[in-house]
Amino acid sequence: MHIEASTDSAQPLPGDFAIWIFIFAELAVFGVLFAAYAFARSTHVDLFNASQLTLNRTSGFANTLVLVTSSYFVARATQSIKAGRGTACGHWLAGALGLGGVFLVLKLVEFHQDFAQGITLSTNLFYMFYLSLTFFHFMHVVMGMAILAVVTYKAYAGRYSAGNHTGVETGGSYWHMVDLVWIILFALVYVIH
Amino acid sequence: MKLSQAIPLRPCTASWVVLLGLTTITFELGSRAPSAALMTVVLALTLVKGQLVVSYFMGLRRVRPLWRLVMAAYLAAVGGVIALAYLTA
Repeated sequence: MHIEASTDSAQPLPGDFAIWIFIFAELAVFGVLFAAYAFARSTHVDLFNASQLTLNRTSGFANTLVLVTSSYFVARATQSIKAGRGTACGHWLAGALGLGGVFLVLKLVEFHQDFAQGITLSTNLFYMFYLSLTFFHFMHVVMGMAILAVVTYKAYAGRYSAGNHTGVETGGSYWHMVDLVWIILFALVYVIH
Repeated sequence: MKLSQAIPLRPCTASWVVLLGLTTITFELGSRAPSAALMTVVLALTLVKGQLVVSYFMGLRRVRPLWRLVMAAYLAAVGGVIALAYLTA
C-alpha cells in the first residue's frame, strides 16, 4: 500500500502539460481580478453592499450547483475512459455539456434581467466589476464547452481508450478550472458582504 | 483528507455531495447580516470547496507534491488577499 501510495503521488499533472500553463495563467488573471474587486470594495463598502442586494442570488446559487455537477460529470467521464468505457465516457461528457448549456441559459436570463433594470457597466463601480467578472467567466464557459464538445465527439467516435485518454484529461482539467473560478466568484460577488 | 474512508462512496462522488452541501450553506449564509465572522466562514467554506475540486475532480491528490502546493498556495493567496481587503475596509 505504501509503495502504491508513493507511486500515485509521483504522477505528473493530468492531461497535456500545455493546458496547465494556460490554466495557471487563467487562474492568475482571475486572482488579480478578485483582488481588484475586494480592494475596490474596501473603499466603497456601502455602495457594494447595497448593489449586491439587487443581484439574483438564487440564480447564482443554482448556477453553482449546475457547474459543480457538470464538473463532477467530467470527473466521472475521466474515470470511465481510464476503465476503458468509451461510450460511458461520452455519456458523462454529454451530460456535462448539457449542464454547461443550462449554466449559459441561466446566466443569459440573469444578464437580461440586469439590463432590463437599466444596469450597465457604467452604472457604478460594483456593477462594472460584477458584469465584467461574470461575462469574462461566461466566455470561459463557452470556450470550455467548445473543448468538451470536441472531446465528447471523439469519445463517442472511439478515439480514446484506457491507454490513450490524455485528451479527456486535458479538456476536463480546463473545465474543472472554469468550475473552480466560479466557486470563488459566486462567494465573492454574490454572497460575501 | 481520507474522504473515501469516512464515506462509503467513490471519492469524487463524496466530494460532489459535500460540494452541493457547502454551496447550500454558503447560499443560506448570504442572507445574514454582514460581519467579519460571516465573511471568514464563507471564505473558509469556499476554500474547502476549491480544494475539493482540485483534489478530487482535477485529480491533483495523486500528482507530484509541487503541483499540489502550487494550487493550495493559489487558493490560500486568493483567500488571504480577499480577507485582508474585507477586514481593512
